[in-house]
Amino acid sequence: MILAPSSSALHVHAPLPSGSTTTTPKTPTAVTIHPVALFSILDHYLRRKEEEDRVLGTLLGTRTDSGIEVRSSFAVLHKETAEQVAVDMDYHRTMYDLHHKVNPKEVIVGWYSTGSDLNSFSALIQNFYGQETAPHQAIHVTLNTGVDAGEKAGVKAYFSSPVGVYPRPENCVFVPVPVKLEFHDAERSGLDLLKSTATAASASSSQPIGDLDVLEGAIHNINDMLDRVLGYVRSVLSGETKGDPALGRYLMDTLGTSLEDGSFHSSLQDTLMISYLGGLVQAQAEVSARLALVSA
Amino acid sequence: MAEAIAASLPAQSAAPTIAAPVHEAIPTSMTKYIDVEADIPLTGVQLDGMVVSKILKHAREAPASSAHGLLLGLDLNGTLEISNSFALPQYSGDDDDKTSKMSARYQASMLRSLREVQADDSVVGFYQATTLGAFFSQSLVETQAIHQDKLRHGGVVVIHDITSTARGNASFRAFRLTSAFMDAYKRKNFNSASLAAHKLTFTSILEEVPLTIRTNPLLSSFLGSLAQSTPSGVSPAAVSSESALPPSFSALQLGSAGLTRNLEQIAESIDHYRVEEGNLAYLSRQIARERAKADNYVAKRKEENAARAAQGLPLLPEEDVNRMFKIPAEPSRLESILLLGQVDAYAKSLSGAASGGLVKMYAARTGGNA
Repeated sequence: MILAPSSSALHVHAPLPSGSTTTTPKTPTAVTIHPVALFSILDHYLRRKEEEDRVLGTLLGTRTDSGIEVRSSFAVLHKETAEQVAVDMDYHRTMYDLHHKVNPKEVIVGWYSTGSDLNSFSALIQNFYGQETAPHQAIHVTLNTGVDAGEKAGVKAYFSSPVGVYPRPENCVFVPVPVKLEFHDAERSGLDLLKSTATAASASSSQPIGDLDVLEGAIHNINDMLDRVLGYVRSVLSGETKGDPALGRYLMDTLGTSLEDGSFHSSLQDTLMISYLGGLVQAQAEVSARLALVSA
Repeated sequence: MAEAIAASLPAQSAAPTIAAPVHEAIPTSMTKYIDVEADIPLTGVQLDGMVVSKILKHAREAPASSAHGLLLGLDLNGTLEISNSFALPQYSGDDDDKTSKMSARYQASMLRSLREVQADDSVVGFYQATTLGAFFSQSLVETQAIHQDKLRHGGVVVIHDITSTARGNASFRAFRLTSAFMDAYKRKNFNSASLAAHKLTFTSILEEVPLTIRTNPLLSSFLGSLAQSTPSGVSPAAVSSESALPPSFSALQLGSAGLTRNLEQIAESIDHYRVEEGNLAYLSRQIARERAKADNYVAKRKEENAARAAQGLPLLPEEDVNRMFKIPAEPSRLESILLLGQVDAYAKSLSGAASGGLVKMYAARTGGNA
């Protein structure tokens, strides 16, 4: 699940020389972001003061062997003028402490800002967050909200490396890292819900939705897909498009799956039994509740 | 309209500075928006997309349906708009007093911090994660009772069902305590007479408030661009177009995983209910026994006095029976109702899952035969 069109850049990890004594941790090679972090950034951007053109905040998450998982984010106050930038450090520390109490596993991994331009202020802030995450490297995630004309919404992640003969905080190179959206399967349906809400005309949907409505939606979706596949297959058969062998292989694997019919009846009986049982328990509970109200 | 706004403004801004503020009548065109006394009753709850995702994440990460947190927002013209939320930490200490103090301090400092970044900072309720739709518990009812007393509009509790979400149907529902229950709760009286008077069963403890989910335009457009397919640069074939949010089909899962767990839960909650009923029955037997003893004593004394009166002897004093016989107070049936509600909720989610499963099984068989 990639968030931005992938670049042609290669992300190579040089293995540490075996004899080296340095204990510097590896630079991250991949960043995954949980949707809640992105949504919080969007909300923060929506609530910014009129004179601010960008907002920034801290990213919390976990480090794994392969990269960094950004799990949540919170807003941090900052002031930016042409000459200087100030970030409210006390606020950042307080918020981190509060978040840490609820979720001790999440630590500071970097910072975010909206808009996709990087400037020397970014380098200064990056330098500060680098101290917060030491000895690990801080990452910087930029989120383009897509509000400005001509710019596409998207997310990019960077880590920094010092540049120049004498390392100075305002001099650094931001190296892009691939970034992916990641969430648990169990949260999937929640995101689907948000997605369908977002595409609705009024941008709102009412709850609760019946299980069968969800099922119906999924079946319609499959129907559309089958139609698309059918259209493709027909056009290949008639010679309009050239068939892709890989695609054909995938289709054969998918459509060739057959159901084993033997267990259907026993499974059906089990399900019916459970359904009756559920109804029975419900009825009993209702009767019992009513009986409690009857006075002798 | 402009005049109406101008007319209403001085009254608003003058109120905090002048000692005895003169309230001007709010023009009728503005009464929908200026609702100082919370006169407009709540008719619905609107949950922001970010809150949805925050609750989802917290509910999944917290152990065993213990996730709960506060909801922040504002009410406008009868709709409670929930625009933010934060999780509350789990304090595992046994000391109740200390726990509540720490929780209060946490809330205060979180609210202060959120105000600084222009987020809404008025508490409008709380959320609670649950499994298999069963959310009746003493602590939930108590928290909501406190909120309903203190918060403007009484606040709501938003229930998020983890099991249903994992099955492919994200479920959020908003509830409030009914006035009948609040009345009984304030009197701290849940004996059978009070229950009958208030007509309280597990279905009439909470009333559901219609809940809608809304995504703000910024989030909508962002989600739209996430769901869009972006051709990946590696291989330009049509196959490898990828989107950050590909469609999912977890609603089509045939497997009846979780049904066993559900059955176990039902059996467990029925056991709890039976134990509670046993306790209640024991207590009421004890009450009946004590009362019978007291009644016997009184009847005997009366008989004796009648005999003495006939013989012209002085009467024996009628002692305070209540002091001689300790008749225990009638037990609270709240726990038993809540447990019954729990049983009912488990059963409902079981039959729901089973009937959904039936539909899917027939659908799969038809599809397989065709």
